Amino acid sequence: MTRYAMIMDTRRCIGCESCTVACRIGNKLPIDMIYNPVTTVGPVGIYPHVHMIHYPLLCMHCENPPCVSACPTGASQQAQNGIVWVEEAKCIGCKACIQACPYHARHHNHETGTVYKCDFCKGRLELGLEPHCVKTCHQRARIFGDLDDPESEIARLYNSVATVQLLPECDTEPSVYYILSAGGQG
Amino acid sequence: MKTERNWGWPIAGYLFLGGLGGGAIIVSSVADLFLGRGDVFALGSFITAALIAVGSGLLVFELGRPLRFWRVFSRQKAIMTVGAWMLSLLIVTGFLYFTFWPDFSPWRPAVGLRKALAVLNLVLGLGVCTYTGILLGSLNARRFWNTPALPVLFLVSGLSTGVALQSLLAGAWPYAGGQEAVEALHDTLRAVDLALIVMELVVIMVYVLMMRTTAGSAAARAAARWLNGAYVKWFWGGVIAAGLLLPLVLYALGVPVLPALCVLAGGLILRFLVVYSDDRTFLPGEEKYLARLPRGDEAFLRAGTQQ
Repeated sequence: MTRYAMIMDTRRCIGCESCTVACRIGNKLPIDMIYNPVTTVGPVGIYPHVHMIHYPLLCMHCENPPCVSACPTGASQQAQNGIVWVEEAKCIGCKACIQACPYHARHHNHETGTVYKCDFCKGRLELGLEPHCVKTCHQRARIFGDLDDPESEIARLYNSVATVQLLPECDTEPSVYYILSAGGQG
Repeated sequence: MKTERNWGWPIAGYLFLGGLGGGAIIVSSVADLFLGRGDVFALGSFITAALIAVGSGLLVFELGRPLRFWRVFSRQKAIMTVGAWMLSLLIVTGFLYFTFWPDFSPWRPAVGLRKALAVLNLVLGLGVCTYTGILLGSLNARRFWNTPALPVLFLVSGLSTGVALQSLLAGAWPYAGGQEAVEALHDTLRAVDLALIVMELVVIMVYVLMMRTTAGSAAARAAARWLNGAYVKWFWGGVIAAGLLLPLVLYALGVPVLPALCVLAGGLILRFLVVYSDDRTFLPGEEKYLARLPRGDEAFLRAGTQQ
């Protein structure tokens, strides 16, 4: 089985937002829509003892996606490989999934009336390509791959470095993991 | 700052009408089944069906793709799907129930059938009154909604507004009996609504004050807006004073009509405050990130559209 996941190595991320730009251009997103913002915490401390962490965000492709169970029409789905996606023809734009998502990963498209979200560039994966954000990251801060393949880079990293998930209290089991650099974690 | 506001006034309006309609049909059904006075509240069942229909219309209006609304009648296990079925059924059964009452109705003598419909309406009314609170309450991303107090508050408020509406409609056409029965029922409705208002006061204060103390800062942030922030006038002045305390006094003084109108207004304001309290826990650094996004009215965004 394939289980797609992403590890964000915040020790490598420099907050350049290239991934945000690549995603917006590659997926031809409307001007007010961002699938993968890069947020910044800090700087914390007093010079010269300071640190700062950048968090590249995107849909967490949760194993237990609340957006899918909130969808009244079956438009929101979870594929066998773990990708959470929207079948646009079935979406009625009720926005229940937007309310259900703790990660602000779903967006109402005012032109089409439907809900858009990151789908790990499903179409590119089928062609054997990486997602736009991963392909463009020149610091290799976004590591993408199949967690079920023990030989993959992501599986080896996942098994060797401590990672955290965002908002674990929501019981969503995100497939996106963060290696934190601050305070010696990870 | 760019704020995330997903559901707007149509949803608040629907939550109000759904609770109101559900509460009102419960009154019609209970009066018919247990007091033998369904005739006094016959018009209420018709108005209920109409209000639920208007509320459902608001739901469709809020959709991004309104013409695809029928897709909601799917076999999904989503709470919204269950709600859509209940609303549609209640519109039909509420109207059907009403048709048993006018003099010219050919099936007026079929009392057994009417009572069966009243039972169905009672169940659907309770369902419609409650499921909206469960729908919002089940979304654990929205910290202020994610509590069992919300369905309880919606149920009590729905019942209270339903009773208030029925007190305005009691004894109207097609009822043709004497006024003594109507007066007696008015007294009953007043007593019931008084009890419901006291319950609602307790439930809402417990709800908001407890949320104010929760560790998740998003719920506490929303509660702070109610208690002493942006919504302070609407919460203390609208919901508590005008919507609960004033009708309490007016009911006690025996003033007609006015307390019912106060209860209805309070219920409507409450739904707006709840819908606008869809606070989410911020992701790391998200608050700062959102603050620096353009709001949409910046010169560089307008450049393409200007002459």
